[in-house]
Amino acid sequence: MAVSDPTVERDAALFAPIERTGWGFYLTVGVLGLAVLWGAAAYWTQFDQGLGVTGLHQPVSWGFYVTNFVFFIGISHAGTLISAILRLSKAEWRRPITRMAEVITVMVLFIGAGQILVDLGRPDRLLNVIRYGRYQSPLLWDATSISAYLTASTFYLYLPLIPDLAILRDRLGKRRFLYAVLAMGWTGTERQHKILNRAIATMAVLVIPIAVSVHTVVSFVFSMTIQPGWHSTIFGPYFVVGAIFSGIAAIIVAMAIIRRIYHFEAYLKPIHFRYLGQLLLVMTLLWFYFTFAEYLTAYYGNEPEEMKIFWAKFTGRFWPIFWAMLVLNVVVPIACLVRLRHHAIGKTVVASVAVVIGMWLERLNIIVPTLSNPRLPFPEGQYWPTWVEWGETAGSLGLFILLYVLFVKLFPIISIWEIKEGREVGLKEVEERLRTYLPDETEPEPARDRAKVLT
Amino acid sequence: MSDERSAFDRKVRAAQWGVAALAVVFIGGIVTWIAHLIRTAWRLGDVPSASIGISLVAIPVFLVLLGVIVSVFWGLLRDGGNR
Amino acid sequence: MALWGMVIDLDRCTGCQACVMACKAENNVPAVGAKEANRGRTISWMHVLVEESEERTRFLPRPCLQCDDPPCTRVCPVYATYRNPEGIVAQIYARCIGCRFCMAACPYNAKYFNWLRYQQAAPGQNPDVSVRPKGVVEKCTFCHHRLQRARDRARGEGRELAPGDYVPACAETCPTRAIAFGDLSDSGSEVARLAKSPRAFRLNAELGTKPKVIYLSETEAHGRV
Repeated sequence: MAVSDPTVERDAALFAPIERTGWGFYLTVGVLGLAVLWGAAAYWTQFDQGLGVTGLHQPVSWGFYVTNFVFFIGISHAGTLISAILRLSKAEWRRPITRMAEVITVMVLFIGAGQILVDLGRPDRLLNVIRYGRYQSPLLWDATSISAYLTASTFYLYLPLIPDLAILRDRLGKRRFLYAVLAMGWTGTERQHKILNRAIATMAVLVIPIAVSVHTVVSFVFSMTIQPGWHSTIFGPYFVVGAIFSGIAAIIVAMAIIRRIYHFEAYLKPIHFRYLGQLLLVMTLLWFYFTFAEYLTAYYGNEPEEMKIFWAKFTGRFWPIFWAMLVLNVVVPIACLVRLRHHAIGKTVVASVAVVIGMWLERLNIIVPTLSNPRLPFPEGQYWPTWVEWGETAGSLGLFILLYVLFVKLFPIISIWEIKEGREVGLKEVEERLRTYLPDETEPEPARDRAKVLT
Repeated sequence: MSDERSAFDRKVRAAQWGVAALAVVFIGGIVTWIAHLIRTAWRLGDVPSASIGISLVAIPVFLVLLGVIVSVFWGLLRDGGNR
Repeated sequence: MALWGMVIDLDRCTGCQACVMACKAENNVPAVGAKEANRGRTISWMHVLVEESEERTRFLPRPCLQCDDPPCTRVCPVYATYRNPEGIVAQIYARCIGCRFCMAACPYNAKYFNWLRYQQAAPGQNPDVSVRPKGVVEKCTFCHHRLQRARDRARGEGRELAPGDYVPACAETCPTRAIAFGDLSDSGSEVARLAKSPRAFRLNAELGTKPKVIYLSETEAHGRV
């Protein structure tokens, strides 16, 4: 029953992950499954005995789980934000990247929101948030904003997926029901394209303020308290910048892995890595600017409570985390990304892995030092995570990657119809656009008439 | 043979309308929830301004999302019915 | 409407911690055990802080300061903690989801968490106070159950609540009578008078939490013969 459309045969390689399943897939799923199992065992222990199986205590009552929450929600700014911005700015190089970025967003939002569930002392009472929620609490702002972002990014992933689902419906023999249902009767008529393009354009515009609001309200969880080190007016923009920063790094890592495993060298070329690498460099400098402003303000003001935490990070108990964060977020990316003419892919991947780790340390660096240094002469907290927290982190990461791998198995991770559109329509559109930038051609005056006027 | 295909197609259509209904119910549920939170805050006198202020932004956002997805589903399902 | 408050005279506090023990007994505060205590999970609704400096060592009994503008109630997502009309910041164990946001927000670290199931209902506990399950936050409630009992008794005897009818366990137990308790809105009460003393100060007053536990700083003779 499978019919092959000749116009998509050129991109037959993009179907390979869906059509063929090698032993590598099963091995990957197996390894990830083990990580997820470890996480499940860790969480079961915690659910059974209580949060006491973690390293949390008084005063450090938030630790790995809240760090992971902020971190994963931050990564979610990868997809939708980058994909939306690139689409709106008509950057043609976005075509092979947008889908894999959008998938990151949707999958990681589930994992991020799940971290809060894991952190609750009474997860069985989660419905209390729905029944008795108080909008004065930043946690409710989080719930609303993340719901909006999850909904919007799911739509934003699904809408451009529809034409590809129709291709799969017509081409593949298996899972016809799934593809046929989700393709919503797409036949590629001009009218359908108009409906879809208008919807995608609307979503691209809508998703950007929603994404900005998400990490802003996540930062408000900290900045709306009066704790030193947290009560900073800069937190909203700081967290959004950090989110975009870690998000771009995550896309680059995903791109490199997908390119290597599925041999997409023809589609994900060094130029794509070079452009994203340049964006990553810009975000490095921007993140450093915010960090510098934050710490200079604290240092110059010399308030005792703020300085307690300042020194705890610079030279005190947390100096390894703080300085590792700075090296990974600033030194390594700048060293790698200033010159990308050669070895673009290798350099951007090294920088990105460094940034992903560095940004996780940054979240930890915000949460734990402040809680460890209470205002009153309370016994100082020493937070050491246990196997439960490590297991939960590994399981969360494993679950995210597993969901991603399953998506790649079922749906094309590079948007086939948009690549096609780029070949057929994109070149012409770009040329016409460039023409409108150049100065207008006016007709030169004939020499006779000019002479007549002068004499 | 054609009976088989039309039975398959009918199942697909039903599932498609189901997905569309799910999206509408999901977003409708969230909007209802936000309204419920406003009502609770008002009844208890617990900073109703926070609830009203947030919902002034949140509810229109969700309604726009609902509008987008309904317009796509409606436009696609109403029109191409053969597959 | 009453406004319950407390005045603690630091000149009289000897750091004996009788208030801590009385509070634990009265409110079924669990003994978490040595292992948990080593991990920093002691639950101590009334906690005596030790402030050491070159000139002196100071003992600061710190219950929940029952702020009039509490940073903790603002951030609770589920109405599990709120300030009731008489000024007591209540904690509803049945509603709490254990997110610990209030713990992160309290500048006085007055909130505690049940990291494990530290105890079950057992004989010998105070029947007026509920035994907390695991995964919820708890804190000092100015022995609110004693207020309810005192009100019931007064109503039964057909009279108004008299000063001295309702006293939390810590104030009742303190051997040097360092803790005074009463209605701050009653201008004739002892606490209202002491709160206006020139020695009176509030912990971290600049934060604007408006705590209703007021301290009287030591006089010159404190700790010296």
